[in-house]
Amino acid sequence: MTNKELVEKSPLRSFEQSLHGGLGKGNIGILASLKGLGKTACLVHIAVDKLFQEKPVIHVSYSSRVDYIMTWYEDILKEITKDMDPGQAQEIRDEATKHLVVMNFKQEGTKTEQVLKSLEEMIEFGKFAADTIIVDGYHFTAAAVQDLEKFKDFAGRLGLEVWFSASLRGEGPHFDENGIPFILKDGLEAIDVLITLHSKAHFVRLDTVKDREYPPAGELPLKLDPRTLLIAE
Amino acid sequence: MKTDIMNMRNIGISAHIDSGKTTLTERILFYCKKIHRIHEVKGKDGVGATMDHMELERERGITIQSAATNVAWAGYSINIIDTPGHVDFTIEVERSLRVLDGAVLVLCSVGGVQSQTISVDRQLKRYNVPRIAFINKCDRVGANPLRVRNQLVEKLGHNAVLMQIPIGLEEEHQGVVDLVTMKALYFDGEDGERVRMEEIPAELAAEAARKREEMLDAVSMFSDKLMEAVLENRPTEALIYEAVRKGVIDRQLTPVFMGSAYKNKGVQPLLDGIVRFLPNPADVENLAIDLDNGGGTIKLESVPEGPAVALAFKLEDGPYGQLTYIRIYRGKLKKGDDLQNTRSRQKIKVGRLVRMQAESMEDIAEASAGDIVALFGVDCASGDTFVSPGVSLAMTSIFVPEPVISLAIKPVGQKASDKIAKALNRFVKEDPTFRAHVDPESHQTIIQGMGELHLDVYVERMKREYKVEVETGMPQIAYRETISQRVEFDYTHKKQTGGAGQYGRVIGFMEPFAAGNFEFKNEVKGGHIPKDFIPACNKGFLAALKKGELAGFPVIGVRVVLTDGQAHDVDSSDMAFQAAALGAFKQAYHKSKPQVLEPIMKVSVEGPSEFAGNVFATISQRRGTIVSSAENGVFTQVDAEVPLSEMFGYATVLRSLTQGKAEFTMEFMKYGRVPAPIVEELIAEHRKKQAEGTKS
Repeated sequence: MTNKELVEKSPLRSFEQSLHGGLGKGNIGILASLKGLGKTACLVHIAVDKLFQEKPVIHVSYSSRVDYIMTWYEDILKEITKDMDPGQAQEIRDEATKHLVVMNFKQEGTKTEQVLKSLEEMIEFGKFAADTIIVDGYHFTAAAVQDLEKFKDFAGRLGLEVWFSASLRGEGPHFDENGIPFILKDGLEAIDVLITLHSKAHFVRLDTVKDREYPPAGELPLKLDPRTLLIAE
Repeated sequence: MKTDIMNMRNIGISAHIDSGKTTLTERILFYCKKIHRIHEVKGKDGVGATMDHMELERERGITIQSAATNVAWAGYSINIIDTPGHVDFTIEVERSLRVLDGAVLVLCSVGGVQSQTISVDRQLKRYNVPRIAFINKCDRVGANPLRVRNQLVEKLGHNAVLMQIPIGLEEEHQGVVDLVTMKALYFDGEDGERVRMEEIPAELAAEAARKREEMLDAVSMFSDKLMEAVLENRPTEALIYEAVRKGVIDRQLTPVFMGSAYKNKGVQPLLDGIVRFLPNPADVENLAIDLDNGGGTIKLESVPEGPAVALAFKLEDGPYGQLTYIRIYRGKLKKGDDLQNTRSRQKIKVGRLVRMQAESMEDIAEASAGDIVALFGVDCASGDTFVSPGVSLAMTSIFVPEPVISLAIKPVGQKASDKIAKALNRFVKEDPTFRAHVDPESHQTIIQGMGELHLDVYVERMKREYKVEVETGMPQIAYRETISQRVEFDYTHKKQTGGAGQYGRVIGFMEPFAAGNFEFKNEVKGGHIPKDFIPACNKGFLAALKKGELAGFPVIGVRVVLTDGQAHDVDSSDMAFQAAALGAFKQAYHKSKPQVLEPIMKVSVEGPSEFAGNVFATISQRRGTIVSSAENGVFTQVDAEVPLSEMFGYATVLRSLTQGKAEFTMEFMKYGRVPAPIVEELIAEHRKKQAEGTKS
């Protein structure tokens, strides 16, 4: 199987279709759920799909160490290429990770402006023409939600797709009557696509609760495979 | 002096260059009565500091190689291992750090946390070495130990706690206030040898009380008893010391001492701190590799009982012959004991056993677990493990990376060749990552190592220690070639020149082999190639690998499978089948889409975040791939993969782009493909050399 086939057969094509062609440049997408449902796996899956298309990805991690994130990518790449010839699979994995940079920040003590400056320097001076930014482990406090505007401006100015994960902490209820997480309500204007994850008996369900100007699609024809936490049809 | 393990300390003194590490060591030796006069580092009296015993180091005023020395303080036996500061000496640093149980991190009260402080601290952290800090040079203009303490917190992430405050700074520096005993300490006598204890000067009383409270707050986190006592306002010295010790051993606390080694102030309280707070060998967990058990690790109890296990961490050719520094991890060593070298399986008998003091030594009858001593006349390599017969443990991995860079050296003047051979013989033993050989074609002496600076230092050591001048060529990268697709071969070697002919035919295929450099498999059925000739085929392929047909580099990553062939009753011979294999390889090689590979280094650059953009740029300009960057608010660490050929002179570039505030380490990671335009250049160069060779 080639990269092209991997991309064509990916369940992410249905995911994109559900989102009217994908997130798109200059837009912010968020995957929100309680802890442990598979947001990071899902984000890494989205990123890997970009990597297979030779679209460079910067993975910004606020919580985990770089080596921990690298392991996520290795595991998911191995899962996706597990049925291939070992030599070819290794080559595809090596080629994919060439288009990936992981950047780790401490949210405490690092302003969003500084993070964006570092990202821009990576793109400009590091000659890393990023297509997508994955932001994982960002703690959405009331103040942090306000910073979504800054990310949105950045995405627009540099023509990037930006995907966030948002962990819903503490006691519920977490969602309003429209399925929007309370913690994200103040930042809703800056969010283009908002998808929530819900644990069901044998799988994790994905609901689109905001999709730009389109009416939200609600439950997607996709789920997270409970074994791998990858997006599946 | 007691030699109980509880009373032993194995420590290192680590610092940025010019923080006064050697001066401090010198003072420690003096106060512990190991030397009778103080010498200065840069040798105003022409003698030079005692610990800094290599001439090269003496000239530079820095320490490159480790030497161990034993001192006694307050009934404790302290082994001081002088750790190399430079980051290029991976193996050497690793070995020194392995034998340490604790370290003193020396900082300059003016310069504070400098780039190399960060790197040595990172190394200590990597090897889980507990540390205490000494802020030196409090007599210098601009001294500000409190600022340096804050830098320890902000830049190095230490839970740094002041155990003292200074009495006066710069020219006014007189001594320190001890925040545990709440006494002022002054250092009298010509060499500061008499410690005078006084009441705290009135003008410092309030500050001392405040700082003591801060210290108690931080330290009581490590002891409930102390916390209780603090709440009841009756903390005792013993409780405080116990809590600090616990915090240090858990690597959660860094007590901060201060003074001026040069002005003989604050060294004795630091020695008290070393024995009070740094761990004894039994406090530290040591793991050995169990060679009988598939390389799994086992914990070694630091006890004098049981079969002995010792690590040779340093070899030295001194005026008295070859010395091997060892650390005993378990058991006891006595004169006459039998030991076995785990690597070479060679048996040795313990002859002279000595305890080293800077440049003199003391013969001892025995030494036990935890101690660091030296053996005389033992033939071994650095990093070897010695064990009692019957034990199969190793203290270090036997894996040694292949060198990635080479340099041709040429002796200048007569007699130089013999001296070079002697020097190389010693360096090779001391450092397994350093190699030397004579190239059979050019007859040049080639030295190989892990980086530019690694080789530079050995060239300089030849000049200094062996008084031999050498001319060096351009550093050469260890390029390799490999194949990228499976290809079949069917080759007949046939020669009929009168007398006995030569005949051999080999059929099979070769394919890329990721698991190693080369594999040969014989699948010939029905005796088409008689068994006796199979080793000759293997030999022929191995010979072909030595020089690739593409650009003349050794070939790696090839698996050859011999499936069939043909022999002749009379004309077949070992020679004929070797030639057939060689021919088959050449025939197949061009069809196998050969490629040139180059060493890719794992490069880690660390510096203030404001320079991150510059660092990114230096990587991308060098055909590098940035793998990650981690920013902690102040510092950014960038990890990247960069071809070694692009790393020449990187230190200078990085220094100038970051005002000297960033630094880097690099180590070999893998072989990677060389881009086509550069391959063309390498091929052209190879052809040129070949043409020159033919002409001459």
